[in-house]
Amino acid sequence: MNEISIIMHLLSRRVNLHEFGASEDELLRYLNIKGKNKHIYLKKLIIDLSNYIEPLGYYVKFNPLNFYWYLSVNSEISNMFKTNPFEGHPSLAATLFCTLTCCLKNEGYTQIQEIIKLRKKKTLSEDLKELAKKGYLLIDHKNNEIRLTPLIGYQLDLNQLFMKLALINNETTSKN
Amino acid sequence: MGYDDISEELTNYIDTVKEDVVTGKISLLELELNPIFDQLKESLSIYNIFNYSQTYEKACDLLALKFEELKNLLNHLDNDEIFLNFLKSKPSDIEIEQVLGNCWRKVFHLESISPEFMIYSNHRFSKDRLITEKIDHVRKEPVGGSFLLEIPRQKFTEKMLDFYEHIKNKLPCKFDKLFDEFQDQMEIYESFVYILHLLQIGKITYEKTTNIVRYKNE
Repeated sequence: MNEISIIMHLLSRRVNLHEFGASEDELLRYLNIKGKNKHIYLKKLIIDLSNYIEPLGYYVKFNPLNFYWYLSVNSEISNMFKTNPFEGHPSLAATLFCTLTCCLKNEGYTQIQEIIKLRKKKTLSEDLKELAKKGYLLIDHKNNEIRLTPLIGYQLDLNQLFMKLALINNETTSKN
Repeated sequence: MGYDDISEELTNYIDTVKEDVVTGKISLLELELNPIFDQLKESLSIYNIFNYSQTYEKACDLLALKFEELKNLLNHLDNDEIFLNFLKSKPSDIEIEQVLGNCWRKVFHLESISPEFMIYSNHRFSKDRLITEKIDHVRKEPVGGSFLLEIPRQKFTEKMLDFYEHIKNKLPCKFDKLFDEFQDQMEIYESFVYILHLLQIGKITYEKTTNIVRYKNE
């Protein structure tokens, strides 16, 4: 088994409900890469693997929420798989979006009240329970807080979302 | 192509750039690093490679520093503002779902090729297996009464000398003539072996040019 096989195994594993892949430290440990240039060597391996699997529609991606490397499928193939977990459930999608907005301001966590305020709803307990069940967030009932799990970083292309929102904002601004 | 050693010159330049970055004179994001790496590549040869390792390391440090600056810049972009501005337009739940729509990605995960499976398989396959080898003893077959090892009635020397006596009258003659009376291949082969031995012990001689076999005394 060569390094690429080991990386493939590590990046395709599911650690728990909301984590996939492996951290850089884990990759270095499993591959027994040591020395001054270990990070450069690992990056080179990851780039080589990513280039190798790209024609198959796969990418090596980095989740900025937990700093894990993992394997993702490109947008064309993703669309074939019906990857939208909220298809037919727009209310859940909207609640998650608002949670994401609130959490981005507060380094990953927010008060439930803030989400309710943003959603302009009386209660969101059902939505939040459902999202927690799906693994997107953790509810701290004691402090009335919500914490995002890294799952959203895996399943949602945040760069694409930022770009899309920026374009919508630009359009709105130019119309006004 | 010339391979001038400009490693010192480049190292000094990188040091100056670093100093300017630290003192805030310049921003790495505005500085092109390609020329440094291009010059490194163009002037590098097997003769000056030892001088270049430190220069290369410093250039890489500079590149890492540039990435760090870029990361900081990206972190400071107002991502949360973009989200809030969108929500200010009071989108419906369906509109929000549509915005998220094309951004969902499938994570590649197959249980069968995960490390857990690899470790599980490894444990299963690496077990020492005790295979008990069954040895079947060969049964001794009863020897039939008709089995006899065939032993020639005469010794080889005797047979050879008989052959010698037999061909004596023909000699001298052509080599082929000695085999004229034999039809069976085994007999021809046997006679040939006798001739070789007779040549060896010097009873007969053979002339390659004339292809004639003679008595030794002739």
